[in-house]
Amino acid sequence: MNPFAYLRADTAAAAVKQVSSEARAAFLAGGTTLLDLMKLNVEAPAVLVDINAVPLTKIEVAETGVRVGALVSNTDLAYHETIRQRYPVLSEATLSGASPQLRNMASTGGNLMQRTRCYYFRDGVSPCNKRQPGSGCAALEGFNRIHAVLGTSDQCIATHPSDLCVALVALDAVVKTRGPKGERAIPIAEFHLLPGATPERETALEHGEMITAVELPNLPFAARSHYLKVRDRASYEFALASAAVALEIKDGVIRAARLALGGVATKPWRAFEAEKVLIGAKPAEAAYSAAAKEALKDAKARKFNAFKIELARRTLVRALTTVGGMT
Amino acid sequence: MSTKAVGSPLDRVDGRLKVTGAAKYAADVSAKDLAHAVLVPAVLAKGKITAIDDAAALKAPGVLAVLTHKNVPKLRPAKDDFFNGGKAGEDRLPLADDRIHYAGQHLAVVVAETAEQARHAAALVRVAYEEEKPVLTADDPRARRTLPKESFGEELQYHRGDVDKALADPGAVTVEQTYTTPVETHNPMELSATVAAWDGDRLTVHDATQWVKGTQAILADVFGLPRDKVRALCPFLGGGFGCKGFIWPHTILAAVAAKVVGRPVKLMLTRAQMFVGVGHRPSTHQKVTLAAAKDGTLTAVRHETTTETSPVGEYIEACGTATSRIMYACPNARLVHTLAHVNVATPTPMRAPGENPGTFALESALDELAYALKMDPVALRVLNHTAVNPATGLPWSSNFLKECYALGAEKFGWKKRTPEPRSMKDGSLLVGWGMATATYPGYRFPASAKARVTADGKAVVSSATHELGTGAYTIFTQAAADALGLPVGRVTFELGDSSLPPAPVAGGSNSTASVSQAIVEAAQAVQSKLAQMAVADAKSPLHGLRADQVSFGDGKAFAAAEPSRGEPIADLIGRGGKGAVVGESATRLSEEKQKRFAFQSFGAQFCEVKVDEALARVRVTRWVGAFDNGRVLNPKTCRSQVLGGVIMGMGMALMEHTAYDERTGRPVTDNLADYAVPVNADVGAIEAYFIDKPDPHINALGCRGIGEMAVTGVAAAIANAVYHATGKRVRDLPITPDKLL
Repeated sequence: MNPFAYLRADTAAAAVKQVSSEARAAFLAGGTTLLDLMKLNVEAPAVLVDINAVPLTKIEVAETGVRVGALVSNTDLAYHETIRQRYPVLSEATLSGASPQLRNMASTGGNLMQRTRCYYFRDGVSPCNKRQPGSGCAALEGFNRIHAVLGTSDQCIATHPSDLCVALVALDAVVKTRGPKGERAIPIAEFHLLPGATPERETALEHGEMITAVELPNLPFAARSHYLKVRDRASYEFALASAAVALEIKDGVIRAARLALGGVATKPWRAFEAEKVLIGAKPAEAAYSAAAKEALKDAKARKFNAFKIELARRTLVRALTTVGGMT
Repeated sequence: MSTKAVGSPLDRVDGRLKVTGAAKYAADVSAKDLAHAVLVPAVLAKGKITAIDDAAALKAPGVLAVLTHKNVPKLRPAKDDFFNGGKAGEDRLPLADDRIHYAGQHLAVVVAETAEQARHAAALVRVAYEEEKPVLTADDPRARRTLPKESFGEELQYHRGDVDKALADPGAVTVEQTYTTPVETHNPMELSATVAAWDGDRLTVHDATQWVKGTQAILADVFGLPRDKVRALCPFLGGGFGCKGFIWPHTILAAVAAKVVGRPVKLMLTRAQMFVGVGHRPSTHQKVTLAAAKDGTLTAVRHETTTETSPVGEYIEACGTATSRIMYACPNARLVHTLAHVNVATPTPMRAPGENPGTFALESALDELAYALKMDPVALRVLNHTAVNPATGLPWSSNFLKECYALGAEKFGWKKRTPEPRSMKDGSLLVGWGMATATYPGYRFPASAKARVTADGKAVVSSATHELGTGAYTIFTQAAADALGLPVGRVTFELGDSSLPPAPVAGGSNSTASVSQAIVEAAQAVQSKLAQMAVADAKSPLHGLRADQVSFGDGKAFAAAEPSRGEPIADLIGRGGKGAVVGESATRLSEEKQKRFAFQSFGAQFCEVKVDEALARVRVTRWVGAFDNGRVLNPKTCRSQVLGGVIMGMGMALMEHTAYDERTGRPVTDNLADYAVPVNADVGAIEAYFIDKPDPHINALGCRGIGEMAVTGVAAAIANAVYHATGKRVRDLPITPDKLL
């Protein structure tokens, strides 16, 4: 771990100013990713600006939706009554991540900034275009059982590890930020970037830009939603495959659908095309399977992760069955 | 000997210390002027160091020294003497030369004022290499392969009868399959750590070790000191499972660093270093061939194992010696053990080394044979039960395996099992019931103890044995209390200090059997002295009796024929004028017993799995284990050992896998997020039953160890249950979702 300076900010404006004035400064919220990576010498910020005193810990319910402050802990988010009733997929996804201790520390905004569990990124030594642009990707031909099959490039196949974000992309959440150039709203689908040729760029945030809130638009049918996670053990483990699903069913026909996948993609993965397959269909195995097939149709397997394609399909079918039932 | 405390479920005597944080583990120890050491690892698997640039590290704040092969003080080779001294984890001394044998090898030690400064400076050390192409797996044709003759005195290449002839019998029903297990890493909660301090030529180390006498011996050897100049302490250990059994380079390096900087030094491994610096269970490739007559009688067992070790170790995972060679009556048996040297860190014993992967292979193969014979797997095992060790012909010292099968089957409800795969369901889940035999040798090693009873009627009993979290403090307090005829509350047991009477490594599940006997004999020595004192003391009501007419109990000495005639031993000792009476022992299992009996523990594991087939998800929902480990000294701690063993076996069966990069040989799952072990949510109900009948030959209390047997057979029982549930036979552990899709 490198020596670093530690500062505290009481307001978003002060925090933004402190971080944007130093090229190697970083915001510190729960620290569950950043401190871990600092100990591994993967991240080496010169300055940490602790934003935990910034008053961003409220969940506000309005007519247009729900606004979740960036510093709302994962625990508080998951157990909030409105979230549980109106967006069960988000509550379930959040509770399926990490452990109670970590969820108590981890923040909503921080979860959006979670970094990959790719072994080669974290070891601090292997070629990794994300950690050291241009150095190559050790995962392509390495032990890539946990790696992504969707949204990959020949520069990076690192999986985005978040559960919470998978629910957020299904819900079309909006990320509110404040940066040196002012405030902006970023649709969650555009917040995380595909690795392409620049895997070191993971989000749309600019340096010094801070997440202040995540807004959940009203989506009445999300009351009928579910998050399903499949992993190597029952709890406290990243997903091999996960699915966030919400369905609107009227008169025995699917009118609207939200599908997203986790554990299999380089970013929280919205399956837009698969949603279209479901619209107008009867909620039944045939439609679910067709949607799952569509969702994975561009999947690319490497040596150790081919099973994820079939596992993701089945996970999606099961989640759809749970939400939509069988007719 | 009357026993009151032994056999009772006494709460852990060290429980309060542990839950309040008062128990001091090695890394909790501090010292005046303590400095901190951090290791610099090799990132490649084979090569030569061409240069080490430590300039930046030496300039970093707080740095006191950087030790490398260039400047490390000369160390002497340690004697490899498992039974009388110590055993180093590796043959090579740390920082011996410029050679790199595996990724993760310690290349330098950075010593600084604080742990953070040392960690920072360690990241600044730059090592230049000349890289060579490593050999990373046993199937690489360049791997140096050997057929070692023996491992810890057990024959590795073995044949009885005529296996080939039995296999050629056209009437035989045969199974031949290959079973593989990956590298598994012990991962105790406590990281290995050493705090070393020199006082002139005297060295004291607080070391996280399962073997204080071993640490003492190895450190004495490498520094050329008499053993009594070195003291090793370890009153508490946060789990070991074998990785703290032998003495590893970091312990030596902590002592070297303390010598170089002239201050006490603390060195604690990181979790990642626990995957390369303190051993692991090597991967195994086991081909098992079984033949049986139509009625199920075994006619041949062949077990061919290939396993791996590093270029600087000879450890071999002996999968067949205490499994296929001896578990069942079979006239024809053959073992082959092949050892391949690869550029991967050095392996070491891990809970039931050999027996654990060995029973996975053999007990899976027996399940396959049972299906081939259309026979119940319990019935097949009962039919082939052996009343003697089939390798030596010696009778078992005691053996209640058939009772274990019966008890386990009854408690589990085995007779309700329908054998056809996929025939049992719970709603949409497939249900599978599987079983396997558990076994582990009943080791008893030489051990000694000292008992000191004082005029206040209290006793301190001590032995250089170990508390791994198993309950040693508690059971040895119970054994000592009964042996001295005192209530447990008046007895304090001390361990974990090399200056105490010698005791063996806490390995091979030997401690209970070995040390309990040392305690009993030390107590007898005390009582013999007390009896002599009493009968010679005119003030004693026992005056005039012969010493052998005196009995002890409830803190009193009394006439065996007339229990009301006697007095508190406290009074007797008080009048003796010395304030205390001391008894010492030095015990070993007699040659005669070793020549007459085979000592082995057995048990039966039964489990239920429920499989969500579409999601390839396996849950172990129910467990019943029945065990014969002789007499149970404490049912509570004994049960805890079984819970831990079964859960560890669940990890082995379903998730544990130390994966290596195929090109660099670096472990990639070297942390507790990527190396999955079971969490509470993975573990269903576990019931443990004990036959609890004393082994009349092993020692006075009739007890054998339990810790290692508890894990054996678990992986096979689960794999067998998964087959019963799904019809899929997984022979390659762990049984992760990808293997069931």
